[in-house]
Amino acid sequence: MLQNKSFVKRTRGGKITKVVREHYLRHDIYCGAPVCKVCDTSGARLSPTASTILIFDTNVVLHQIDLIENPAIEDVVVLSIVLEEVKNRNLSVYNRVRALCSNSLRKFFVFSNEHHKDTYVTDMSGESKNDRNDRAIRVAAQWYQTHLAGSAKVLLITNDKENKRKAIEEGISAETVESYVRSLSKPELLDLLVQPASEDVKMEDAEDLRPSKRKVIYSEHKPMSEITSGLHRGIYHQGKLRVNRYNPFEAYVGSESIGDEIIIYGRTNMNRAFDGDIVAVELLPQDQWHEEKSLALADEEDEEEDVHLVPGSADDAPRTIAAQGSAGITEPVQNRPSGRVVGIIKRNWHSYCGSLEPMAKPAGGGGIAHALFVSKDRRIPKIRIQTRQLENLMDKRIIVAVDSWDRLSRYPSGHYVRTIGVIGDKDTETEVVLIENDINTRPFSSQVLACLPPLPWFVSSEDLANPIRQDLRQLRVFSVDPPGCKDIDDALHCTALPNGNYEVGVHIADVTNFVHSGTPLDDEASQRGTSVYLVERRIDMLPKPLTEDICSLRADVERLAFSVIWEMTAEAEIISARYTKSVIKSCAALSYIEAQARMDDSRLMDPLTTDLRNMNSLAKIMRARRIERGALTLASAEVKFEIDTETHDPLDMGMYQIREANQMVEEFMLAANVSVAEKILKHFPLCSLLRRHPSPTREMLEPLLRTAAAIGLNLDVSSSKALADSLDSAVGDDPYFNKLIRILATRCMTQAVYFCSGDLSPPEYLHYGLAASLYTHFTSPIRRYADVITHRLLAASLGIYKLPTIFQDGPRLTSIADNLNYRHRNAQMASRASVELHTVIFFKKRPTDTEARIVRIRSNGFFVFVPKYGIEGPVYLTPRGEKGSGEWYVDEQQQKIRKMDGSISYSVLQTVFIHMEIVEPQPNRPKLQLSLV
Amino acid sequence: MKDLQLSLNQTQKVRLQRALEKLESLASKANSNASVTVADSIPVNYEDGLLKGHGTSEVNGEVVATVCGVVERVNKLVYVRSLRARYKPEVGDIIVGRVIEVAPKRWRVEINYSHDAVLMLSSMNLPDGIQRRRTALDELNMRSIFEENDVICAEVRGFQHDGLHLQARSQKYGKLGRGQLLTVPSYLVKRRKQHFHHLENYGIDLILGCNGFIWVGEHVEVTDDMLVDHKSEQHDTKADKSSISPEDQEKNYTPQQTRENICRTANAIRALSTLGFSITVEVIMETVDLSSSINVAIHEMLGAEFCVLVAEKEAVRRSMTKKK
Amino acid sequence: MEYVSPEGLRLDGRRPMEMRQIRGEIGVVDKADGSAVFEMGNTKVIAAVYGPREVQNRSQQMNDRALVRCEYTMANFSTGDRMRKPKGDRRSTEISLVIRQTMEACIMTHLMPRTQIDIFVQVLQADGGTRSACINAATLALSDAGIPMRDLVTSCSAGYLNSTPLLDLNYVEDSAGGADVTLGIMPKLDKVTLLQMDAKLPLDIFENVMQLAIEGCKAVATYIREVLLENTKQLEYRRGT
Repeated sequence: MLQNKSFVKRTRGGKITKVVREHYLRHDIYCGAPVCKVCDTSGARLSPTASTILIFDTNVVLHQIDLIENPAIEDVVVLSIVLEEVKNRNLSVYNRVRALCSNSLRKFFVFSNEHHKDTYVTDMSGESKNDRNDRAIRVAAQWYQTHLAGSAKVLLITNDKENKRKAIEEGISAETVESYVRSLSKPELLDLLVQPASEDVKMEDAEDLRPSKRKVIYSEHKPMSEITSGLHRGIYHQGKLRVNRYNPFEAYVGSESIGDEIIIYGRTNMNRAFDGDIVAVELLPQDQWHEEKSLALADEEDEEEDVHLVPGSADDAPRTIAAQGSAGITEPVQNRPSGRVVGIIKRNWHSYCGSLEPMAKPAGGGGIAHALFVSKDRRIPKIRIQTRQLENLMDKRIIVAVDSWDRLSRYPSGHYVRTIGVIGDKDTETEVVLIENDINTRPFSSQVLACLPPLPWFVSSEDLANPIRQDLRQLRVFSVDPPGCKDIDDALHCTALPNGNYEVGVHIADVTNFVHSGTPLDDEASQRGTSVYLVERRIDMLPKPLTEDICSLRADVERLAFSVIWEMTAEAEIISARYTKSVIKSCAALSYIEAQARMDDSRLMDPLTTDLRNMNSLAKIMRARRIERGALTLASAEVKFEIDTETHDPLDMGMYQIREANQMVEEFMLAANVSVAEKILKHFPLCSLLRRHPSPTREMLEPLLRTAAAIGLNLDVSSSKALADSLDSAVGDDPYFNKLIRILATRCMTQAVYFCSGDLSPPEYLHYGLAASLYTHFTSPIRRYADVITHRLLAASLGIYKLPTIFQDGPRLTSIADNLNYRHRNAQMASRASVELHTVIFFKKRPTDTEARIVRIRSNGFFVFVPKYGIEGPVYLTPRGEKGSGEWYVDEQQQKIRKMDGSISYSVLQTVFIHMEIVEPQPNRPKLQLSLV
Repeated sequence: MKDLQLSLNQTQKVRLQRALEKLESLASKANSNASVTVADSIPVNYEDGLLKGHGTSEVNGEVVATVCGVVERVNKLVYVRSLRARYKPEVGDIIVGRVIEVAPKRWRVEINYSHDAVLMLSSMNLPDGIQRRRTALDELNMRSIFEENDVICAEVRGFQHDGLHLQARSQKYGKLGRGQLLTVPSYLVKRRKQHFHHLENYGIDLILGCNGFIWVGEHVEVTDDMLVDHKSEQHDTKADKSSISPEDQEKNYTPQQTRENICRTANAIRALSTLGFSITVEVIMETVDLSSSINVAIHEMLGAEFCVLVAEKEAVRRSMTKKK
Repeated sequence: MEYVSPEGLRLDGRRPMEMRQIRGEIGVVDKADGSAVFEMGNTKVIAAVYGPREVQNRSQQMNDRALVRCEYTMANFSTGDRMRKPKGDRRSTEISLVIRQTMEACIMTHLMPRTQIDIFVQVLQADGGTRSACINAATLALSDAGIPMRDLVTSCSAGYLNSTPLLDLNYVEDSAGGADVTLGIMPKLDKVTLLQMDAKLPLDIFENVMQLAIEGCKAVATYIREVLLENTKQLEYRRGT
């Protein structure tokens, strides 16, 4: 059957056109109930015993998605019209509903009512789109009722009074969400309910009982039409709001229209916008543009700076000056435009992890209590929620979703989604870290696991016979990794050739032999992007059998590898490089310590040790040459925990020690990556996945230069080479000085990112930190998806395999690269958060005095860096609350803080002694406090 | 199927449908399976020997139709008689055509064939009726015989090296005037003994050209052509003068009754052609009679109602002939 | 953008392997020797054939075969926004050429030396797959004109979106930017006379997509054959004996 849909549409050019689309109605759309005798039940999803089948209307799905996701809600028929509306209104909810529908454990069935011959409704004249869709929902519900008459009851869930009334008139059983949830007699589900807006007033009262204080706090958002025209005329500027991670009252909106970032100070100016929202911003008059505020340690409210790990790069660091584009126009700081939000174009609301703000006594009676929720993510304002289980939730980490934020309330209101666990508990907090960083910890699905080869797996004779695979089992291949490493993805060999040269091979686990493009396994890995390493746990990108066994290049077993083999002179000049798939048999899986010990032990003369030494000497030459080219040896303050095997509590903590063996392996990996990058780019100039590290701009290096200037150090940042040299020459009187400077330098750099070679021009491919014009990731395919892609590219460039189709889809490739960057970054953030978490646990029982270095000066104190534990945190000179009471005086130029009487002064990089202790200012909120000794 | 380009109301639609169904059932069953379309294979018996005719070709040892039509078998010959196609001339066919070009010693005539036909001055009886060598003067005066856009009637003489030749060596051929030219698909006109018809009770001439061009015009006496020629000579000489003599006016005047008859007949042919019925003088006459018997105005003959009537009438007629 | 829902339905409710509704009608232009309208969903094309007839431009006359000419136009009202396009723009010229070459391959031109055959196609409504519809309409019109042909030519498009091969793309799917294969085949001879594709496809997927397009062409051929046969029978029985 054919129906023509016709509607009128406004084109981008503003013209009105009539659009006619075909719309086919079908006979072969089934109801999805296995008990149905008429329909084809092969695709049925509902449970055979379902007594009630639920049909939700659009608004219920949009607002009550958290409830719907609860396993208590089952046997749901999702109508395609509802899905379509949800998709138009909120993509993230749509994706969640889709996930439910495709989850084989849940009984959700999508019924394409819009294409079913009996449930399609034609537009009636004078009927609004919403009314028509509501009618469609009712028609579908009625169809189900008659279709499944006798075998199941059909219940339409709607909160729309009119819709409900009409449904009941038409003989459809209908209920509101609330009454349905009540009928389930599971009180905890009620917390998941989003309160309808009409109840807002009540909540308002609960928060603040004095009606006189009810006033408009925020200015009204402009209507969409006004925003659109305002954007058109250039009055407003559109951009994504980014809240300062370290100061939630300051946000930036990157605006293309003025080519700069607009600063927004204070919640009033932010006008209810969340981090990540797309907003329309109006510039404030120039005289209101704020000067750079005197940076105080604490904020206007009682939010405070926490002790945290040393930032790894500029992206993590608190920003005082916005990273600017390569244009490099240095605007005077006070001239930066500031503005206020006039409207929100697209919300970025999702659910947030955190805990309830401690309250003196539970407010409200009758079991329903109102509470304020404080997100772990400081960029998110407090959220009001109401709950029936307040007592229960007080010491818990919970997840809360935002529902609305009206002009009258200081805080947005939301609803409880679920509990993670007790605050402070290691597992709970770890989970919080994972959720905060959007890390997928779900076990691999059965479809993914079905892609694995059968276990136990061995190299088969076919693999050996395969002409593309070279048999390298006779080579003396070994691996060097951190102790306890199970996912060994690289191994090396080094053979002296008769002509005095060396044959050096880097053998990388052949993951793409098992992970084929387009399979569920590949999709999952591409989504996860990287393995995540927490202090006590590892979240794998690939299922465990692959990670730890089949791909892992363990000692004394035959494994498949992808090898890069060079012939090198003794001066480490590469004469030739070749790439091949291979079979290897590693003879030893060494740890860095073991390898180092072997090299250092001059009595050992066995072949393996000789290989190690040869490699090491080659690596040293390569390293020297790389540094000569201008590669930066940046330092990061990585820490290492010793974990109790029983309790998994940290026993000891110390800086991660880097040995020569580490550097040796690193050197060859770098060389392999560079080699491969050149090879794939030559074959696929448009679709190679590379990694670049943009040169830092002068503005980004500003903090470093200022600090350096304060201590009388002159750094040349004109090029990476110059910077490297001046870093080398920055040797102070104490041994740690150089490293400290390097840490500061590292912090100024942005992170390296993956990109698709077709998106940028070759000069932009540069990897600044490594001083390499080309770089990619090839050497860790077990734990990074980027390497998997690179493996496929390399295989294709050798003509072994065809390039998967995805490489022809430029935008898709770019989105993969973006996802990898996002995942990579999140993985790093999670690792750092995990280390921070363990730091707190570690110091809980061990108040410690230690040495620290001042890194930044603030008006009421300074930040110190504790080298031993790799942490950074504030030290207050004045008691909290009393803001810079004049007792202390900051010398910006010299980066010094002086007591007014001049008796004491602290300057940057000065060594101080501090006391580290865990305090609990509020119950269940432990934090690490640093104080001067 | 070719839908009639008519606006029929519901009852007319049903009636037409019924009439057409009746026609379908009347069509000889033997031929119903003989219809083929392009690339249909034609079942043949190779043992009898085989001659492939028009509209067939051989693909992988199979005889395949190259046009849509009806398979005809004559002894060993197998061919496809195409229906809607341009006219395919056969020697001796009487055709009606239109002069499109006056060329040296010849006229080019459009006859719905894939090429223009040629009528040589030498294949033409001169107006004076005398058989003689054509002089240069005759050549110069060709336009006085036929001009561009004149409608003429002629006979297919045969194929020469430079195309299809016509001849008009009889008084019944020549220029046609005072009438209408109708074009119908050539497959609707069958070759018969008689293509010239003088419908005495209407006072009109009907020429059913084999090429699908049909002439309906006032009756002209063939015998007194000497007089006509004489008159026309006179006419030529007088052409310079601005006034036309009353005598000529009389000559050029066709009575209204005749003009109406011409139109009625022409519309009858149009109706038959729209319906796709084969066009013979009998059917035309019957249709004309039908129209006058039920007092259908001439212009209404092109309307839906008359069309349906014609279809019904045809159904009755064919079933009658069938019974006989 | 999701062009195939997880339920396996396309935006307009078809399944990936389904064609739109097709309809063909013969004899729509009285003056022409052959004419036809062909519809594929909302795409509607009219074709008229004149000839074989005397070659207009003597210099183009060929002594061994017929001259085939084709003119493709798109009615100004055929798309939603009424755009006045200059005649003979690049796209029209290209499609004219494509149709001409495709049809020339099947017309037995050697049987009609020193003649010319004109094919005029005009798009009345455009909703994707106009090329295919034009070729199908031209085939019908040529058959109607009684021009001898080796075989019918039928055409259908297929594309590849959301990792699914889709048959007979409509405008929305066509403008999605995925690969779009337009295929013309001679179904009886099992030969390809037209194959066009924009965008890139890997060979194995291309083969799938092309296979799908072949199926589509065959389905169109079956339908066209029915239409022609029905038309021939009608003409024959109406004409009577």
